[in-house]
Amino acid sequence: MSFNSELIKGVWKENPLFVIVLGTCPALAVSTSMENGIGMGLAATFVLVCSNIVVSMIRKFVPSTVRIAVYIVIIASFVTIVDLVMSAYFRTLYNALGIFIPLIVVNCIILGRAEAFASRNSITMSIADGIGMGGGFTLALLMIGSVRELLGNGSLFGYNLLGSSYIPILVMILPPGAFLTYGALTAVVNSLKKR
Amino acid sequence: MKEIIRLVGVLTTVCVLAGLSLAYVNEKTKEPRAYQDRLKLLSSLNMVLPQHDNQPDKDSVTVDGTTYYISKMGSGVNGIAFEASSDKGYSGMIRVMVGIKSGGEILSVGIIDQKETPGLGSKIAEGWFTDQYKGKSLDNAQWKVKKDGGDFDQISGATISPRAVTAAVKSGLEAYLKNKEQILGGSNVVQ
Repeated sequence: MSFNSELIKGVWKENPLFVIVLGTCPALAVSTSMENGIGMGLAATFVLVCSNIVVSMIRKFVPSTVRIAVYIVIIASFVTIVDLVMSAYFRTLYNALGIFIPLIVVNCIILGRAEAFASRNSITMSIADGIGMGGGFTLALLMIGSVRELLGNGSLFGYNLLGSSYIPILVMILPPGAFLTYGALTAVVNSLKKR
Repeated sequence: MKEIIRLVGVLTTVCVLAGLSLAYVNEKTKEPRAYQDRLKLLSSLNMVLPQHDNQPDKDSVTVDGTTYYISKMGSGVNGIAFEASSDKGYSGMIRVMVGIKSGGEILSVGIIDQKETPGLGSKIAEGWFTDQYKGKSLDNAQWKVKKDGGDFDQISGATISPRAVTAAVKSGLEAYLKNKEQILGGSNVVQ
């Protein structure tokens, strides 16, 4: 187990969305455009790395019966800190992401990694795991977001690509489009992985 | 027994530490957040009010829970802005800043906050949509979307959001007219 292999496993081999299938609720909800996807992905990655560090740091002192409660307190605290700091110093970004930040608390990837990885591994490995898993999550959101934004709105990152003659497939930016895209991409990723 | 004390001890410590760090961050960011909130308010006021030489956010009156920001040029009132909101949108609150002349005719409308479906309902924040409220008042328009027999355009695929905006602006105007005397007080009004 090396730093680098922990770093890249989240992107492909154990991608949180396409392979482990964790944190699907926020992913489906915010992947209507690439911009939303990248914002949610980066904010979640930050919280994931921070909570992994702290969970790994205190892993020897926390009795296993109360560990989940402790993890949730840690994660919720980091989310609130991100929320406050962004609202004070990065207002434009905060306005764009406002509604997604509180959603990070309920993102199962973060609790999942605290439980499955950070509570059993060293701080350095937990940082690598956090970055990798967060990166894989961001990448997956970008993929879903790009398909949905392009088909549903004819644009990418808000720039109109397909021209005004293109009639958007509205269903793609509505909830059913999220399920369709997510299902199709999961199938593609898993069939590629099998080779 | 010993085990229980240990559990309580660990949980208490974690919660106290989390509480302390949150209190610290909250305190440290209080001023910058208030400053950013004021900037946001000022920019939304400037979006809907005519040119003025006072500070409308300080020249405000609160009646029935709504704050009316009064814009003045010289000593005369040349516009009033207030926030109207609706929870009848597709998701969450839609907050609208409405700028009017003292008689109740709309100068401009701007969407401050909305969480409608991106690419559909979110189009209410675009200029072509908000511009249609300009010059309208309770007397010269049917305050409904066209689909319901009114004067305002809906957005194809998203009727709920425009309906909510129209209703919010309408009820804001009604509240203004009802409390007009109280809001303007003895202010000198420029027609």
